[in-house]
Amino acid sequence: MSWIAIGALALVGVAIPLAMMVVSALLRPAVPEQGKKTTYESGEIPTGSGRIQLNIQYYMVALLFVVFDIETVMIFPWAVMYRSALEAGVPLSQALLPMLLFVGILVIGLVWAWRIGAVEWTKSLRATAQKTERQNT
Amino acid sequence: MAGLLQGEVLLPEQLADLMGLEGPLGVAVGALLGAFIVGNIMLAMTGVAGPWAKRKITAAFTDRFAVNRIGPFGLFIIVADSVRLLGKELIIPSNADRPSYDLAPIVLPASALLGFAVIPMGDLGPLNIHLADPEAGLALVFAFASIASIALVMGGYASNNKYSLMGGLRAVAQNIAYEIPLIVTAMSVVIFAGSLQMSTIVAEQGATLVSLGGIDIPAWYAFVNPFAFVLFLVANMAEIGRNPFDIPEAPTEIVAGYQTEYSSVYFVLFYLGEFLHIFLGGAIMATIFLGGPAGPVLPGFVWFVIKIWAFFLFTQWARSALPRVRIDQLIEIGWKGMLVLSFANLVLTAIIVGVIA
Repeated sequence: MSWIAIGALALVGVAIPLAMMVVSALLRPAVPEQGKKTTYESGEIPTGSGRIQLNIQYYMVALLFVVFDIETVMIFPWAVMYRSALEAGVPLSQALLPMLLFVGILVIGLVWAWRIGAVEWTKSLRATAQKTERQNT
Repeated sequence: MAGLLQGEVLLPEQLADLMGLEGPLGVAVGALLGAFIVGNIMLAMTGVAGPWAKRKITAAFTDRFAVNRIGPFGLFIIVADSVRLLGKELIIPSNADRPSYDLAPIVLPASALLGFAVIPMGDLGPLNIHLADPEAGLALVFAFASIASIALVMGGYASNNKYSLMGGLRAVAQNIAYEIPLIVTAMSVVIFAGSLQMSTIVAEQGATLVSLGGIDIPAWYAFVNPFAFVLFLVANMAEIGRNPFDIPEAPTEIVAGYQTEYSSVYFVLFYLGEFLHIFLGGAIMATIFLGGPAGPVLPGFVWFVIKIWAFFLFTQWARSALPRVRIDQLIEIGWKGMLVLSFANLVLTAIIVGVIA
């Protein structure tokens, strides 16, 4: 029952944008000109393609994300069960300690990543040099 | 199951009953009609928020006038702006990656709208505005909300614009930095509620925390665990990309990020999706921290609307008052600050609950 309603909302969610697109297509003018189609680059003529190579900087962070995301998935069932387990008389050493250990292992991982500088934005050598130049003058 | 035990009937069933339909036809028609109602409620709210309230609020904060020419309080600007924006020419940049360029403006609002399926919006007259109540409600709403970053990457990459590409990549960096604090903080609430089902989380907050001079203060999780509330508020602002964490758009750095090359109805859809996301963020906060639709005197739905508009007002306040953080600061706040604090919050909550219980 729930899933049918969610599916219905997904349909509505796609239908509304599509309907707006259709309405707009009926209303709007179309005056194609080559000049309009250039991409915006601060008013200059764009150089090369828009798909450039750049340092996305967060490769290591993305790897960390995968680890922690799986961890949060593991925490879900524990968080749901925790209180009812305690109320059912499960001792704290069984309900809480394994979880603390699990989080602890990942915290050690985070500390390691922190120390090797994985969670920092890499500064380019040139930018750093320019900064010290400015500070020195 | 808890929702069923309380005898709560959801919107699709109510609609089917009202129309006297039974069996699979009733289920399908009820679900579609319910979804249509919920979708239009949220569209109406974004319609008021986007062209009108946002301008009015920003103007009030910065001591200026805003839209005040058409209609009472300038309200008819909503109609004028929708016609204006829908009637604009659609300019598609050269070498745009077509299927992806066209799909992104559909995926963004659809993903945000989908999140509202599991949000309990309270009673309005005889109707209980709550579309679906699966047992994994809270997990689902986070899953739906994070589909948005795919849309941002699609739009950013497909635009063939360097600013757009950077905006899309920044959206990912931001999303992966704040997703985990967000969910881990939500888990500290789940420890109290003992369920992921939205109706149970709301029902658990109905208990009385303390009585002050005859007034019962409800056990809203914002009062029970204010530290988690603040953490969640910050992570939520980053997740939906609002100031001071709006670096995927950052007009002073990368023009408008992923939406630089979008015009006409595609721009409207991006804008709409963003506002839906603000309201979805507000709805999640209202549901898991502010007692959902609970409140005195007024009907539940009115309280729900007040709560999500309060969150909207807060985002606009932050927009006027706070400077934007840099991308490197954002990553450091996320991974060094929020992540550590959210785990500390989770462990402390678990220990406190364990010792008291």
